Amino acid sequence: MLKKARQKGILLIGLLTVAISITACGNNGGTPNNSGASNAPNLNGGAEASPVADTGSKDEPLVVYLNDFDEIIKPMFEEATGYKLELVSGNGAEIASRIEAEKGNPHWDVVWMDAMPTIDQMGKNGQLLEGWSPSNVDQLTDFAKGFVPENKTYYPTGAHAAAVIVYNTKAFDANSAPKTWADLADPKFKGDVGMADPAVAAPAFPFVAWFFQTKGMDGAKSYFDSLLKNDLHVYPKNPNVAKALTGGEIKAAALQESNAYALKNAGEPIEIIWPEEGAPASVRVAAIQKDTKHADAAKAFVEFILDPKTQQALIDKGEESYFEASANGVTEKSDRAANAKLVVAEAAWAGEHEGEIKQWFADKAVK
Amino acid sequence: MFRLKAQGNRTGWLVLAVLFLLILLPLAAVVIQVLLPGVFFGNLEIGNLSLLLDVFRRPLWYVSLKNSVVLGVGTTVLGTLLGVALAMVRSKWTFPTAKLLDIAVWILIITPSFILAQGWVMFASSDGLATRWLGWSGLHQLVFQPAGLIIVMTLSKFPMAYLTVFAALEWKVEQLSDAARLSGGSRWTVWRTIQAPLLLPAICSGAMLVFMDTVGDFGMPASIATIFRFPTLPYSIYSALYTSPIRFDMAGALSFYLVLLIAVAMSVQLYAMRKSRFDFLSSRAIRSVPKWPAKGAYWLMGGNLLFLAVVLGIPFGSNLLMSISSNASADAKSGLTLKHYKALFTTDGNLLSGLIHSLEIAAVAAIIGLVVGFLVAYVLNYSEFKLRKAIDVISLVSLAVPGIVLGIGYIFIWNQAWLEKIGLLLYGTPWILVLASVAGVIPVITRVVVGAMAKVPRQLLSAAQMQGAGFLSRMSSVLVPLIKGALLYAGLAAFGASVFDLAISSILYPPNFMTLPVVINKAFEDLKFGYAAAATLTGGGLVILIIAAMELIFKPARKRQRRSSQ
Repeated sequence: MLKKARQKGILLIGLLTVAISITACGNNGGTPNNSGASNAPNLNGGAEASPVADTGSKDEPLVVYLNDFDEIIKPMFEEATGYKLELVSGNGAEIASRIEAEKGNPHWDVVWMDAMPTIDQMGKNGQLLEGWSPSNVDQLTDFAKGFVPENKTYYPTGAHAAAVIVYNTKAFDANSAPKTWADLADPKFKGDVGMADPAVAAPAFPFVAWFFQTKGMDGAKSYFDSLLKNDLHVYPKNPNVAKALTGGEIKAAALQESNAYALKNAGEPIEIIWPEEGAPASVRVAAIQKDTKHADAAKAFVEFILDPKTQQALIDKGEESYFEASANGVTEKSDRAANAKLVVAEAAWAGEHEGEIKQWFADKAVK
Repeated sequence: MFRLKAQGNRTGWLVLAVLFLLILLPLAAVVIQVLLPGVFFGNLEIGNLSLLLDVFRRPLWYVSLKNSVVLGVGTTVLGTLLGVALAMVRSKWTFPTAKLLDIAVWILIITPSFILAQGWVMFASSDGLATRWLGWSGLHQLVFQPAGLIIVMTLSKFPMAYLTVFAALEWKVEQLSDAARLSGGSRWTVWRTIQAPLLLPAICSGAMLVFMDTVGDFGMPASIATIFRFPTLPYSIYSALYTSPIRFDMAGALSFYLVLLIAVAMSVQLYAMRKSRFDFLSSRAIRSVPKWPAKGAYWLMGGNLLFLAVVLGIPFGSNLLMSISSNASADAKSGLTLKHYKALFTTDGNLLSGLIHSLEIAAVAAIIGLVVGFLVAYVLNYSEFKLRKAIDVISLVSLAVPGIVLGIGYIFIWNQAWLEKIGLLLYGTPWILVLASVAGVIPVITRVVVGAMAKVPRQLLSAAQMQGAGFLSRMSSVLVPLIKGALLYAGLAAFGASVFDLAISSILYPPNFMTLPVVINKAFEDLKFGYAAAATLTGGGLVILIIAAMELIFKPARKRQRRSSQ
């Protein structure tokens, strides 16, 4: 009994020693490689960037925060330019939240997300590199050129529908399905329609923002009120909408473009309708952090993703491959509708009214 | 005696400093956003304090507060009743399949609530498995209303109460009950007047844990929201932090109300336990050994199996079915497949490296957490340290504060530029995940250990000290052996729980350092429901294997010891 107890004592002391040595290691700011992340080349990420390296040595990785294409962009960029790249990926909201929390000491060099209003606001708040033009900016399509802001803080790399109309082919056929945004308020579809919550899902905001800008605040409120009166199902996020649609809980939905095509390609009984008045779009833009220590690499990255060849590769191999490229000469997915018309709420307007619109939806939901 | 006190004070200050750094500072960093919104970005301006009153003006916030209180109180009452009843039965009797109950409790504790909730949603939604496979179409209305959610929560959160009380029943002083029985007290009278009051600290700790875990739970309201809107405080905090424009000040205001709820709950607990002493364990204490009941063992078994079928079978069965269904609707017709499991091993190495990272972080966090939790419990039980109450409260706080709040707080605290000069810029390294995970596991570890330690009287330690035993030898030869079962449970629960902590790792993970929950969540957002379910079950299975192995390693020693003491 006593012997046993002594052994346990030794064990406890051992644990304490381990804990203390671990803490001490952390305190010295040493490289904590013992947590075994041998497959992560540089555990400390951008944190250890030396303050003088503003020319950006090729050994220090460029840190990009993004919400899509994390699965393929790293090797593509590293092979093409020789710079090292490290990624932090997450959904748009997580990344935006992280950037905001890091504001006092940013760890990122480039942000690349389909959240133009948010990034536009960051540009206005002086968080982004201003006045720089990529060498290949002339290759942008006219549609894309319209998004470049006056202060040149960010550049578009593509746009996709924040929502298209989708319906379950078991419930409707091409004739009976809703065809326009106004149709969704038709009593014919009472209780059948779903969408993602603009107060929660990041991609749902560009969708509603377009209505609020074109119809005016009151006009849009009455439109969405009419949808809610028609027993619209509001789900927290787009994947939930997709699930409800395939599960039969709803029969039609306003669903993000890539989710819609993903369902269709997975063999679900889904058909996609591009409304003639246009599908409100989400624009993916890239911006460079104002105080980046890796300006050359960051600029190379932005130029790289504006390149038509890169955008073609994203469409051919990427997971979020259904989008309209921002560069000329890129071929879209062959099954993406030829009449896909995108309409976009002005970034500055949407950014300024984001809080107000989202709160309206949030409070609406609990009433 | 004086020296023991001084020792207690030194340990007390150390523990307080550690808890302050790990839990209070990050939380305060978020709450202070209401008062000084730009304090971490170099601009000092006074914030809009009327935000604090907005909880009564904004419909969403008001409903959130109300829902949190209703859900918290309801689940605490029911969950504690259920947990205590089960623990009593389990410690008194043994019966076939009894061991399964212990395992089930562990599984429930380490499984992240969003997985359990999702399983319930898949089962009970209007087009869910209950309707489709069993034809129970009415279940939908029963579950998706406040009372139904309280039941579902109770079935997921009762293990905290069960474990705390079960650990406290490990030793018992039969003399007291025997004396009462000899004096003519009925079984019920003895239970009511002797056994139950002696268990009061454990029951209170258990109830507290259930309450904290419930009000701080984000997974449930988030999963349920797909069907039934039941916003709670964590849900609204999440909205403030994770929808742009990002409002740290609003998250701070709502977090303030969460802290307030905790404070109220703590006061209730303190009031219930005032002026009582519970260190009843003496040299006459015997280890309680469950007996085979005179009759009814098979009734117990049947009840147990039925209970397990509900609390585990429903959520995990639904996930399992999803992981082997070929399409997202898990139709009976569409057929079953193992393709999602194959995909785990064939696609890129993200899942594997994420799993390894998560296991490492969790293991280190569990060890550090165990040391901290042990010291916390020591100070709470044996010291005269004057800030004991503060330690008690802080050690519970991180259970009720959602991981995202702590996560944002960790960025504020550990990402200040001046830290780089002294090499303490931990944000952006895996250490930030370890620290945050330690903060996350401290409540569980502390409560389990405190519950067990409460029965070891101080005199045992004093006696050892008078014989000349130093602090470490007192701990290792007296305290640790008496409570090592609880220590093992605490460490394993902490390990299991931190493997799946999504909230903390999604906001804090360093570049190129994916963790398991991040990988799973991404799969879910990419509509790969089957893959997400398969990854969850595989990861969870591995964690359970590790825990079972650890238990096996420590178990034989205990049996031998029991034999030698008889």
